[in-house]
Amino acid sequence: MTAQPSGKTGSPFRIGRYYSYMLLVPGLVISAIFLVLPLAIMTVVSFYTTAPSSTGFLPIFTVENYFDFFTSPQTGTLLLNTFSLAFIASIICFAFGFPLAYFLTFHIKSRTLKNYVITLLIVPFLIDWSIRTVAWIPILGKGGIVNFALMSLGLIKGPLEVLLFSRNTLYLIWLQTYVVFMEFPIYLAMNRIDPDLINAARVLKAPPRRVLYDIVFKLSLPGIMAGFIFVFVSTLGDFITPNLWAGGVQTLGLSISRYSNNFLWPYASVLSTMLLVIAIIIMYIAFKVVNIKKLFYE
Amino acid sequence: MKVLESKNLTKWYGKEVLALNKVSFQVDEGDFFVLIGPSGCGKSTLLKVIAGLLDYDGGELYIKGTEVKQIPPHKRDISMMLENYALFPHMSVYDNIAFGLRMLAKDRSEIDKQVKESLKLVGMEGFERRSPLELSGGQRQRVALARAIVVNPSVLLLDEPLSHVDYRLQRKLMEELKLLHQRLGTTFILTTHVQEHGLSLAETLMVMNTGVIEQIGKPDAIYTRPATVFAARFVGDINLFSGEVVSKRNGRYTVKTELGELQASVEGDKDYSGHKLAYGVRPEAVILGKDAAQCENHIQVKPINTYYFGNSVECLFEAPGGVMLRVNVAPEAATLQTGRESVVGWRAGDAILIEKPSVIEGLNIEEVIYGK
Repeated sequence: MTAQPSGKTGSPFRIGRYYSYMLLVPGLVISAIFLVLPLAIMTVVSFYTTAPSSTGFLPIFTVENYFDFFTSPQTGTLLLNTFSLAFIASIICFAFGFPLAYFLTFHIKSRTLKNYVITLLIVPFLIDWSIRTVAWIPILGKGGIVNFALMSLGLIKGPLEVLLFSRNTLYLIWLQTYVVFMEFPIYLAMNRIDPDLINAARVLKAPPRRVLYDIVFKLSLPGIMAGFIFVFVSTLGDFITPNLWAGGVQTLGLSISRYSNNFLWPYASVLSTMLLVIAIIIMYIAFKVVNIKKLFYE
Repeated sequence: MKVLESKNLTKWYGKEVLALNKVSFQVDEGDFFVLIGPSGCGKSTLLKVIAGLLDYDGGELYIKGTEVKQIPPHKRDISMMLENYALFPHMSVYDNIAFGLRMLAKDRSEIDKQVKESLKLVGMEGFERRSPLELSGGQRQRVALARAIVVNPSVLLLDEPLSHVDYRLQRKLMEELKLLHQRLGTTFILTTHVQEHGLSLAETLMVMNTGVIEQIGKPDAIYTRPATVFAARFVGDINLFSGEVVSKRNGRYTVKTELGELQASVEGDKDYSGHKLAYGVRPEAVILGKDAAQCENHIQVKPINTYYFGNSVECLFEAPGGVMLRVNVAPEAATLQTGRESVVGWRAGDAILIEKPSVIEGLNIEEVIYGK
């Protein structure tokens, strides 16, 4: 991009260099009050002592909560469950989102049709979350259409409960909920790929699969990373869906809600803080591996 | 030996636009073949069809004797430099050039050797680690050229390689393209919409007009003996008048035009007697001053304007009847004053007679001559 000339004959809306930072103030205030402050309080509480009081803790510094966290035999399973669920969900969303974005970008030529398809993809989000979730019951439930079909065909004797309550159900529902968060960033990144880059690769002896990998995939990486982060972070923090459908799989999110429901705030804060820290570390590593700055061009 | 042959090649865009209308031609091995024509004439489409980036709807296309309809681009023995260079932004200069070789599964040392060689060929040594985004237009073009050459194709396609750089660089690159062509011996097929580029680069020139071929031949042959009014117009500048042959004597025709009766002696066996045609004369064939009166054709004109080009001057005259005449002379010869009457003339041997407005049927020759 070319730099804007800094002459005096600019737009009448030009603001002074230092005043322009004023534009950040509303956002900063909101972030400070509703993001930084709660997180700070949460971190502080994680070092308080659990005690029978009106708040459930006393402001006495202790590291015992963290000691409990690191020595609890459940912690390992909890972390593994939480991160593997989120990771696999992201991979599944990618597996569906990438081809969808590819199709939308390269195979739908008509702009009108493109807009229709994009609208169709957004429509599920205009429906309330609970309805969307509950709608799976008549599909996958005991008396649901899938069980009915399988039983009618004689493939199973009794209805399968595992259809509605298992990790796989969770992935299915997460896929339905979050695939758009994967699909749109990839679509936007792919849209910016100059078709002539694909042509150039084709005349330079690249077979279709290499064009897909070396050009389309690699140039979509910023979008893929963005989508990955959206899905990963969302599924990491989601505790309602696993609670409803995962068939008893324990996750960090579920534990946090359980501890806070029982007013065990300090330990709930420890779990939340650790979730945050580990998530940040994973993001950091992900950004190191895929140098996102290098990927954005123009 | 012909390396490429096209027979009645036809390409539609949708149901409305006929981009290539039964195009037939062949390209000899080692030729520098230039497709020239205005924007939208189908030359880029033709190049993309040859590369396999576009399918064709009718006709046949042979590369080294093989019909290539079913052969995808990466399996054709061609390479192409695209109009906007299309360098891969996420790869270094080295990786851009190595791309084709990697696809051909060459081994590392071989790739390294060839990349270095081709960078040297285009004068871009030392740029291996740079990103294409850090390069200037001319440098990008060189990298794109190196990248297309390195896979050692039988036919190299160059789509408007000179259109995105400034004039000085164009001249430099033209020289280099010619030298490169001589050194490699590869068949080059290049498109351009600039007549000077076409004339000076081509060994064989093909003039295109909305999906059809107007003329194929050596550049000088097309310049001196254009087959159609369109070809005459597109290759060089020309003064054209519509006329009718009234008599023929000793191989010399008298043509009745709006400037009166003009003489033309034309080589060849063709008989133009009684035909309606276009009478043309190139601006540099017209003479000013007292020598003009000695020519078979001379007329009284009024100077309108002059355009100075440094090495030449173009003078615009108004002939009787409001007909405009362009004359191209050396700067020292152009000592005329606006408003004064003057005489211009040209020899009968310098006249060009053209029968057809275009290869496209059904066009009125007068409309084509005075159309724009």
